[in-house]
Amino acid sequence: MAPARTDTKWDHSYNVTRRQKLFQNPPTDRTAYPALQLAVDPHIEAFNALFPRDGKPGLIDHALEEIGTKTYFDGDERAPVAGRNKLTIRYKSVTLQKSQVPPNNKFAKNREIFPAECRERHVSYRGKLSAVMEYQINNDDPKEFVRELGQLPIMVKSNRCHLENNSPALLVSRKEESEELGGYFIVNGIEKIIRLLLMNRRNFPLAIIRPSFTGRGPAYTPYGIIVRSVRPDETSQTNVLHYLNDGNVTFRFSWRKNEYLVPVMMILKALVETNDREIFEALVGPPGSKAVDNTYLTDRVELLLRTYKTYGLYTRSQTRSFLGQKFRVVLGVPETMSDYEVGTEFLRKIVLVHLGCVNVTEEQDADKSKLLIFMCRKLYSLVAGDCAVDNPDAVQNQEVLLGGFLYGQILKERLDELLSVGLRMALRDYFRRNLSVTFTSATFAKDFPIAIFRRTNENIANMLEYFLSTGNLVSQTGLDLQQVSGFTVVAEKLNFLRFISHFRMIHRGSFFAQLKTTTVRKLLPESWGFLCPVHTPDGSPCGLLNHMAHKCKIMTKGVDASAVPEVTYALGVADASTAPSGDDVVVMLDGKLIGWCAPEQCRSVAENLRYLKVEGGHGVPVQLEIGYVPASRGGSYPGLYMFSQASRMVRPVKYLPLGKEDFVGPLEQPYMSIACVESDIIPGDSTHIEFDPTNMLSILANMTPFSDFNQSPRNMYQCQMGKQTMGTPATALRHRTDNKMYRIQTGQTPIVRAPLHNTYGFDNFPNGMNAIVAVISYTGYDMDDAMIINKSAHERGFGHGTIYKTKKVSLKDDSNRSRSAKSIEKMFGFAPNSTIKASVQEQLDADGLPFVGRLVREGDVLCAWHTVGADYHGQLINRDGITHFEKYKEAEDAFVEEVRVIGSDTGTEPLQTISIKLRIPRSPVIGDKFSSRHGQKGVCSQKWPAVDMPFTESGMQPDVIINPHAFPSRMTIGMFVESLAGKAGALHGVAQDCTPFKFSEENTAADYFGHQLLKAGYNYHGNEPMYSGITGEEFAVDIYIGAVYYQRLRHMVNDKYQARTTGPVVPTTGQPIKGRKKGGGIRVGEMERDALLAHGTAFLLQDRLLNCSDYSKSWICRTCGSFLAVQPTVSPFIGKKKAVSTVRCRNCAKRLDEIEDLDLMKLEGEIWEDGQGAQLVGGENTTQVVVPGVLKFLDAELMAMGVKLKYKVDTKDTIHRGPLKPTAVRPSKISAAFSAA
Amino acid sequence: MLAEIPTMAIDLVQIEDNSTVLADEFIAHRLGMLPLNAEGVENLFYSRDCDCDEYCDRCSVILSLHAKCTGDENMHVSARDLVPSGERISQTLGNPIISDPDGLGPLILKLRPGQEIKLKCIAKKGIAKEHAKWAPSAAIGFEYDPHNKLHHLDLWYEQDAKKEWPPSEYADWEEPPQEGEPFDYDAVPNRFYFNVETAGALPPDAIITEGIKVLQIKLAQMVKDLSEGDGDGNGAYDGPRSPEFGGGGADGWGGGQDPGFTTPYGNGGNQSAWGGAGAGGGTTPYGTTPYGGAGGSSW
Repeated sequence: MAPARTDTKWDHSYNVTRRQKLFQNPPTDRTAYPALQLAVDPHIEAFNALFPRDGKPGLIDHALEEIGTKTYFDGDERAPVAGRNKLTIRYKSVTLQKSQVPPNNKFAKNREIFPAECRERHVSYRGKLSAVMEYQINNDDPKEFVRELGQLPIMVKSNRCHLENNSPALLVSRKEESEELGGYFIVNGIEKIIRLLLMNRRNFPLAIIRPSFTGRGPAYTPYGIIVRSVRPDETSQTNVLHYLNDGNVTFRFSWRKNEYLVPVMMILKALVETNDREIFEALVGPPGSKAVDNTYLTDRVELLLRTYKTYGLYTRSQTRSFLGQKFRVVLGVPETMSDYEVGTEFLRKIVLVHLGCVNVTEEQDADKSKLLIFMCRKLYSLVAGDCAVDNPDAVQNQEVLLGGFLYGQILKERLDELLSVGLRMALRDYFRRNLSVTFTSATFAKDFPIAIFRRTNENIANMLEYFLSTGNLVSQTGLDLQQVSGFTVVAEKLNFLRFISHFRMIHRGSFFAQLKTTTVRKLLPESWGFLCPVHTPDGSPCGLLNHMAHKCKIMTKGVDASAVPEVTYALGVADASTAPSGDDVVVMLDGKLIGWCAPEQCRSVAENLRYLKVEGGHGVPVQLEIGYVPASRGGSYPGLYMFSQASRMVRPVKYLPLGKEDFVGPLEQPYMSIACVESDIIPGDSTHIEFDPTNMLSILANMTPFSDFNQSPRNMYQCQMGKQTMGTPATALRHRTDNKMYRIQTGQTPIVRAPLHNTYGFDNFPNGMNAIVAVISYTGYDMDDAMIINKSAHERGFGHGTIYKTKKVSLKDDSNRSRSAKSIEKMFGFAPNSTIKASVQEQLDADGLPFVGRLVREGDVLCAWHTVGADYHGQLINRDGITHFEKYKEAEDAFVEEVRVIGSDTGTEPLQTISIKLRIPRSPVIGDKFSSRHGQKGVCSQKWPAVDMPFTESGMQPDVIINPHAFPSRMTIGMFVESLAGKAGALHGVAQDCTPFKFSEENTAADYFGHQLLKAGYNYHGNEPMYSGITGEEFAVDIYIGAVYYQRLRHMVNDKYQARTTGPVVPTTGQPIKGRKKGGGIRVGEMERDALLAHGTAFLLQDRLLNCSDYSKSWICRTCGSFLAVQPTVSPFIGKKKAVSTVRCRNCAKRLDEIEDLDLMKLEGEIWEDGQGAQLVGGENTTQVVVPGVLKFLDAELMAMGVKLKYKVDTKDTIHRGPLKPTAVRPSKISAAFSAA
Repeated sequence: MLAEIPTMAIDLVQIEDNSTVLADEFIAHRLGMLPLNAEGVENLFYSRDCDCDEYCDRCSVILSLHAKCTGDENMHVSARDLVPSGERISQTLGNPIISDPDGLGPLILKLRPGQEIKLKCIAKKGIAKEHAKWAPSAAIGFEYDPHNKLHHLDLWYEQDAKKEWPPSEYADWEEPPQEGEPFDYDAVPNRFYFNVETAGALPPDAIITEGIKVLQIKLAQMVKDLSEGDGDGNGAYDGPRSPEFGGGGADGWGGGQDPGFTTPYGNGGNQSAWGGAGAGGGTTPYGTTPYGGAGGSSW
């Protein structure tokens, strides 16, 4: 019998031996933590959908179909097409290979490149992308050729990755974590993920009122219907219907970032052969029905039909030709196409593309027309106020744009561009240089694929690497997205919690970040179970950056819903080919109208469908979303909207009639009755029940113990702080080269934890320590969120952490790429025959690289290099005999942990790059930040000697003391409960389950843990009598003391302290520069200045704002009061060396050559000379004053604007202090005069 | 007992070779935490009192560790593998405490095949005030008045103090308070319960006696200081201290420190520093306000 499969069930207990075994012998069959992989799966599956291996067409295959065939003609571009040769070209297929060593490397035996190697070498993890293209000249036989399109970054653990489906044991042997998740790309050694974005729900017409719509033109109203129509290759095209004041409806779309407006009637008439009567009846209803009496609607539809008459287009072909004529240039179609064909192309490419975008059939055009009419009906209903607006900010009307899909969209656009723009340019260029050549000539046949494609920018993969490394989207079409940057983020491995939350986060889009309104940020009840209400950052991204609830899934593939229409017809839905009667509501599947149904019948159809879908085996997939919107007065537009496609969020709940798992989506959820717990079930109403109330929380929010006891913002803070904790980022630390990594050395597993802690395997990555915490006001050093740490606990290792920094030293000049790789100019090592100081020789090995384990201080050398040049034999030799050194510049002492020698791709280059990993020990110091798991952060204020710490009767001393004042206003009762549970757990040696919502008013947590404590001989409430460690006296009250899990946050004083007396200054102002790194100062701003003023500390104020800032002594002219007119005199006899002797005012002086009747004997004052040799006299009344340097700067700036500043520095200008001189008019009289006026 | 009884602990570690997964300083920290036999430590000098430059046999014990994993299983290196060397005051002083049944002692580190560790440790005498590794005991239980007869403490309870506060383990040793017994406010605690748990370096009884010894020395020193030092109150103590208040003019602070309750404006009373010629306290430094009339009078 085969050995038992690795168990994947976890409870909340410690499972020490089981984990130890898993860790020592990673399983060879499957991971023990499948939940972790599930959390990341949407990313990986979306990438896999691009190039699937199951033989089904992937997204790229769909995209190639949509790109279609491109046509080119030779000869003169302005000449008529007839008589010119035609070349048609199309993509047959595009393939992506796994990562491999390039063929020009002759040394590598193992040709596979694993992700770990890419990380260590600071390069990208990518595989070869190649395309098979087929071209045809005139009507000859089609020929095929293959082009390589560069190296495309590959997602780790995707189906193009070597790590796909690897067992934990294999992963470890490939230098990965045993639970490597994948889902990210490696770009230049950095792990990047494409973040999930919220988009409008696809193929669903949304009713929108947006005031900005009125800006489209006169008569435009805020009413509109938006449908984001998605092609099978996941690219989308948004279509909008606008309502105009006069009742008209316009169709709007944007194409290559330009907007176009077309009357909706024109589209309707172009799609199918129809007449006004048919359209009227489709919009209003059959004659004789109730709706015809609705004059509001009939008036408008009549107007719609009437105004269209002005175009005089009656048949389908007329309309299509008209559209084709108008959009020929916009679409950029070949000249051979007729206007009618262009019109057809327009409908194919732009109008409701989800209903057909390749080889569109008549039937598909009819579907498009039906949907367009439905949209018009919804629009009229919206305008009339019969239906409510759909909120585009609610999850109900949203779906998720997966990274892999976005990646495919960009790839598609690049491929399209290569064949349209790139090839056109290359051909034009080619024919310009070879005038006589035509498509049919032999030269062309020789040059065609290779020489011509070489001139195009065919390195498509490089552009995707750029996209991943910067997150910027360079696109002609904009891809129907609202932003162009911020698509990717670095998956920081600060600690495991942070890493995992990157994959669960969903961003609303950076466009919304700039909005002044807060409506998009609101937490709406619709997001229950899909987005976590707790886990969102505070501050600017609040509410925009959400995280998925831990059970929420994203569909990455459509489910097979082909049988659903038949099932609905069997349930009594009328076929869509029939006209709707009366107030029939619509039945739609993936944005395709499949039928009509009476409102009262619709409910039973939906209920039956749901039963069939949960039961299974009826062709109704369980992930099908059955959005039954009941008819209501002024509510959402009624109908039965079903969705089967990808990108939807779904979550599991239990279906009560069958007791089985059902998946619900955000659109249907608001209309369903899902009980949260057993007691919430309303008989006859509730259809579903939650599996667990904690399913609505994200992974991280689930880790907060007893979060239901806390004030809600505290749980939010904990979600933030959990991600800033110094934890254990990885276990494969040896194979990681992150720029900066934080690690706690003495991590522990929490005593109080949720079962999910084990399910997600967080014990592999401990994040903090269990600390004995006393809540007591002791010594005063615990005021204001400070905490006292027991010095002995600290000395035994409490909170000891380490920072790993990786420094890459490359001798290659990255800026100079044009030079070939062969030009080696520098090499590592000491220059031969150069003399090296003994102190340096001690620090480096003979190869010029540092010793592993060495202590490096500021200014120590890290490695040595010298310049080389090739001699006659091509040997690289050093000529100057100078050894250069790379120095360690940081102030903190570090140890060399690893030195990595990095070779080149080809394996033929001498050593050019090394990467040095430095280890900086960071024992906790005063000023370091710690926090419990309840948003209670504090700064270590003292390391208090153990003898002076208070102690209990059993001799127990707290590791941490916090102040009781931290609780009343913050109401983090969960922390008290954790303390209680932790104490009981430690006493009984059990792990405590801290899942929220487990206790009630009848069965309280305090009682549960109180009894445990009592049993262990402790007080029921967790209090203990304590003795002062200083006096030895018993405290008059008993103290609350227990065990709480503490995290050490990454904010440490060593990275933050800033001190300065003198230092670098800004040259223009003379004030200190800013920035800690550069030794700058901290700004004493206006408010600080106000505080100093208010305290009356004038001397301090002067010291901060003048003496320690831009204190400067400056010359000024007392007569004219100017800083700028003064200048030092130049003695004609003494050289320039002499310091400033005398300073004169040029403004007040007179040039000798300008004085008429110059009589040297009568001149008053000395004659002085300026730098130009001009002789002047006068201007002697100068003096030196102390002013802030900026004042002179301001003076100079104002002078440039023609404003003169005059400073009164003479004694005669002083402000008069003392009794005023008597004036002629007495003050009382003046006031009297004013009052009379 | 917690902080001032001298014991032995590894203080310096000279690492020669370390190819383990643990960092040097991390191993050094672990070594420091090992309890070492401290019996007879009184015969050892403190390193700072010793004549030697860095360390010598009279103020330290040298332990060395050299382990290499040659098999293909992980190897455990424990306290047993620390080998004392050099001249020692006694054959037991500084030996690692090994009390587990297998005789291995605390685990120091684990070696993967091929890894090696070679280092020399210098164990010194010290007290836990300096570092927790010199602590002879883990925790000292201390209690008096188990029935709270003296009412030094308000025991907080919600419903029933008896139910919520379990009796102390020493409660049987003393008479419980009788029903209606009057409160004796003159009573003082006279019976103290200690619970000493050793970390291994010294047997518990030795910790008690050593503790008393340290206390005696301290008291004796204090008595000595008090009786000796007339005029030179702080005689033996020459550490940093705060300046004495009102200690006359000759305390090195130059020109008689003021007692701390006068303002720098001197001459007390309600006169301001501005000469105080004006009426009352309402004068501005300018003597008069700019609005005519004498200062303060026109308002």
